[in-house]
Amino acid sequence: MTDLPVQLENVTKRYGAFTAVNDLSFAVKQGEIYGFLGPNGAGKTTTLRMLLDIVQPTRGRISVLGSNSAISVRRRIGYLPEERGLYRKMKAADSIAYFARLRGLSGAAAKKRAHALLEEFGLGEFARAKNEALSKGMAQKVQLLATIAHEPELLILDEPFSGLDPINQQTLEQLIADQRAGGRTIIFSTHVMQHAERLCDRFLIIAKGEKRFEGTLSEARAGFGRHIHVRSSAPAAAFEALSGVLSVRLERGGDESDYDVELSENADPQDFLHQAIAAGLVLTRFEQAGATLHDIFVALAGDEALAPHEGARAEAAE
Amino acid sequence: MKQILLIAWREYKQYVLSRGFLIFLVMFPLGLAGLTAAMGFAERSKPTRVFVVYDETGQYADEIDREIERRHALSTLNAWNIYLAAYTPAEAAEALPAPFAPDGVSDARVKAIEEAGGYAAGEAAIADILRPGAPPFTAPRGQFERVAGPAELAAASSVEDAESILRPYLLEERGVVRADGEAAPLFAAVLIPQGFGVSNETVEDAPSAQYWSRNLTDTALEDLVGNALDAALKREAAEAMGLPRAALDDVAAIAAPFEAYRPDREAEEAQLDTQDRVETLMPAALTYMLLVIIFGVGNLLLTNTIEERSNKIVEILLSSVTAGQLMMGKLIGIAAVGLTMPAIFLFGGLAGSVALGAGGASFLGPVFAALFSSPLLLIYLFYFFCAYAIFAMIFLAIGAVSNSLQDAQSYMGPVMLLVFAPLPFMIMVFENPNGFIASLLTWIPIYTPYAVMMRAAADPPLWEIVGATALMLAFAIVLVRFLGRIFRNAILQSSPPKAREVWRLARRDAA
Repeated sequence: MTDLPVQLENVTKRYGAFTAVNDLSFAVKQGEIYGFLGPNGAGKTTTLRMLLDIVQPTRGRISVLGSNSAISVRRRIGYLPEERGLYRKMKAADSIAYFARLRGLSGAAAKKRAHALLEEFGLGEFARAKNEALSKGMAQKVQLLATIAHEPELLILDEPFSGLDPINQQTLEQLIADQRAGGRTIIFSTHVMQHAERLCDRFLIIAKGEKRFEGTLSEARAGFGRHIHVRSSAPAAAFEALSGVLSVRLERGGDESDYDVELSENADPQDFLHQAIAAGLVLTRFEQAGATLHDIFVALAGDEALAPHEGARAEAAE
Repeated sequence: MKQILLIAWREYKQYVLSRGFLIFLVMFPLGLAGLTAAMGFAERSKPTRVFVVYDETGQYADEIDREIERRHALSTLNAWNIYLAAYTPAEAAEALPAPFAPDGVSDARVKAIEEAGGYAAGEAAIADILRPGAPPFTAPRGQFERVAGPAELAAASSVEDAESILRPYLLEERGVVRADGEAAPLFAAVLIPQGFGVSNETVEDAPSAQYWSRNLTDTALEDLVGNALDAALKREAAEAMGLPRAALDDVAAIAAPFEAYRPDREAEEAQLDTQDRVETLMPAALTYMLLVIIFGVGNLLLTNTIEERSNKIVEILLSSVTAGQLMMGKLIGIAAVGLTMPAIFLFGGLAGSVALGAGGASFLGPVFAALFSSPLLLIYLFYFFCAYAIFAMIFLAIGAVSNSLQDAQSYMGPVMLLVFAPLPFMIMVFENPNGFIASLLTWIPIYTPYAVMMRAAADPPLWEIVGATALMLAFAIVLVRFLGRIFRNAILQSSPPKAREVWRLARRDAA
């Protein structure tokens, strides 16, 4: 077992003249949940497919579980693609067992595990039901269970929350947390920041096929100015005049307005408060806030998030 | 390899263990048995067809009766052969005295049986070897009966008169009376005018005999009467030439001893037998089977690849196996589906031939001998799988670039044309296995398997077969790589590529 189950070094993927992923490097540590964030068409799926050796990089080096090709270690990997389906005429338990067998489990073990997982996740009575008879939510659970049935060391989940109802989202969050508690390494891509914020130890933000950030949430926040929410009848210009203030944004106008005040990286919020009192500004609200992952994401990939069409070409080419 | 076999097994199971296929498996022999039984029942339940002969010459009614009797004797003898095959052990039956032992159906054997005491003597001869519970032998019912017809027919003064008398009977407005006193509809009337025959004129100048019947589809009686009159006139002619009438029967019974030989064998083995004939037909049969299988499984490959693509299963599969393993698994699984049906027929036939004993063995024995003892079988199998691989890959690639059957239709037309294009030429290859067309098709890689299978038994030039096979294998490798790239590159695309992009997908390793 390696300390860095996944490593990418200067990986580039081109489709003709179009560059889907450009000089991307990152590493995932053993036992962590690694978020792979980016707007639609940013190159997330291409990167994950390269990790799995489903598509080959144009340039660069990839190491997965100590191997240069995921093909040789695919039995130790569980993969849930963004677009996933099941054979309509196959039974639920058979589907899970089939994919587990393809990933190395013996026939008997795969069958046993399939039934156990279906029981555990409340689908025991549907084990012999054909997939076409399952509800969408049930089918999604079956797909998830098929991904983990062979007990992989590394789980790669591409947009696992997309299309899930809130109950299944919660089930999946719990499943990811349980898998991590079991010592597994998990990479999941998403463009829904709340999940990443709740689950990820570290994350990578990718846009236009290029890395914009890699690290923990607190590291990301450190790179951004601190925000203070204040309510006052004073005009915005009065706050802008204080030292350490980068910008003041009106959130809600009125007799008393709400402002989002962004301080410079080294500014102290207490110092801001002292300065405001000394200047005779009356504050009826003073609240310190760190940047959310959403803020960070929009700041780093905002142009992409707003105009995903360019990136979508990569998805179409995939 | 395990993964390939797993994929192949899933593909195989999906179709072969499906309800439809199993129902077909049960229904097919039942249907076949039902059809045979229905045909037998239809034949047995066919009413005896009653007819009238108005013969102004007074000479030919007896000739027709004789022909009816002769045919009935032959069909009785045929029934005897079937009875022996069904109810006596083959070896014991072979050991019976000559006219009663299983043999060909001929007038001479009919005569020999009569002389040996008829079927009663035959039944006595087989009494000891008859299987327990066997029913007694019964001769088939007569198919035709000539009746005198209505009384007023005797008063008819001409053929026209007779026709107008008989018309209401032929239109079943009135019935005639059979020999046993039962009333029956009149099936046909034969009117023979004065002057019919060859006595003093040439046959061409003589007036025609007429056959009247409302039933235009059942021509058995019409054929029988025609044959009987032909034979009668030939006998008359023979007599006019000074030969006794019976001499013509003797002449007609002569069958020239004629045997066919092949020069590529030693003298004692050179005579052609049934197995040789079957071996000659086998390439054509296998080529036909190949086409049927390619067409059948091609559609399976297509629909199932489209399902995996449109249901988004393929990416999960590709995270577990390589595109090459996936392709190979599908090819093997679907090939097995394609071969299951012929295998079932083959083993069904084998079981049938065992069950039928001597009768079945005489028919199916040479087929199995040709299939299993011929050194050509391995050659056929080799080319069979080459052709399958080439065409199956084409279907796989079409499946990979299509999200629906509708998408696939635009590619299927040209492919089907390609698959079936050699059919019209195959008859030429069959008849002249070393001719120009045969050579030409041999050198076209996609048709090499068909052409070589058709020619294999005719000793084509070795250099030509080796050269064309090498070319075909090289072509197959290039094609498999080319189509394999299309499969790999297209199968993960969310929307199907346009036709003009397919070439680009094959040229670059876009994955």
